[in-house]
Amino acid sequence: MKKISLWDIYKVFFIIGIQLLGGGYVILPLLRKYIVENRNWLSEEELVDYFALSQCTPGIIAGNISMFAGYKARGTIGALTAIIGIITPSFFAIILLANILNGAVDNQLVKDAFWGIRISVIVLVIVTVKDMWAKSVYSIFTYILFFTVLTVLLIFPISPAIVILLSAIAAILHSKIMGGKNA
Amino acid sequence: MLKLYILLYYEFLKIGIFAIGGGYAALPFLYFIQSKYNWFSVDELTNMIAVSNITPGPIGINMATYTGFTTAGVIGSLVCTFAIESAPFLFAITIMKIYDKFKSCSAVNAIFNGLRPASCALLTAIGLQLLYKTCVTQNSFIIDYKSLFLFIILMIPFSFMKKQPLLAILAGALGGIILKQF
Repeated sequence: MKKISLWDIYKVFFIIGIQLLGGGYVILPLLRKYIVENRNWLSEEELVDYFALSQCTPGIIAGNISMFAGYKARGTIGALTAIIGIITPSFFAIILLANILNGAVDNQLVKDAFWGIRISVIVLVIVTVKDMWAKSVYSIFTYILFFTVLTVLLIFPISPAIVILLSAIAAILHSKIMGGKNA
Repeated sequence: MLKLYILLYYEFLKIGIFAIGGGYAALPFLYFIQSKYNWFSVDELTNMIAVSNITPGPIGINMATYTGFTTAGVIGSLVCTFAIESAPFLFAITIMKIYDKFKSCSAVNAIFNGLRPASCALLTAIGLQLLYKTCVTQNSFIIDYKSLFLFIILMIPFSFMKKQPLLAILAGALGGIILKQF
């Protein structure tokens, strides 16, 4: 089989990066179009497997699945090329926007708009919580964990990394204790 | 300056390791960084998150690039972007090497059973704290009715829709401009 060129990998992920708007899940149809259908680097089955895997490995979902797909195409260097490809449009878009916005922050209309936009962010956070809740809080253990973590966080400002570590330990202990009964 | 880059690398490396469940899972970490280092204000951070939502690219990467740029310029943005992806990169190639054993999430499902609700609780806490800070004037406990009004107006339609970042941010901008005229 002919080796897939790194330039082609970079190009595809760059193009996907440009079209990514509005969260990690948008990447699935894009990968299907460019990588499964147009280029045959992955089968449809592999894509679905990688997508599931990218949600249960640490890191940004869109980045994870890009690295899995890049790895499949060309090994470690393919994964590296894919992630650099998907990062590039973000990088230039943000630097450009940051410079434009820095020049506009003194404008009263822009200030008013951002006052409202900050409230939009709160709304988006709450909508995201609703989605996450549906997928993550479903048993006695997950209910207890959720409300314990939330209560503690509202009282003490603890590092999120510590929260995640302690929750991982709690989950391991829970599965060890419950292991015999409902594994 | 070198010390700042190292701190940025360290903090964003942690986000890459511990943020579970999509770009928004990085938010609690960013607000934590804000309170720890004061590289930017809470309002500036929220503005950056908003812009990251409506810029091409994965939201998590956009937020890392933007906060890095605000803190330490172009090099800062590169440091943060590479930091946030360096641990996931190592995880990804390791997993692919042992792919047959890892094929499904079942091996780590027990742990994720605990990580997902924790991640959700982290984001809930941030949402509640932001809402409180926005709708209640600091130190005087007076409710800011304009903020509360806009929040409710936006919440009604968007809580029934699939997540629409672009639309939500446009509506917020428009609402902000209109409400501030009164």
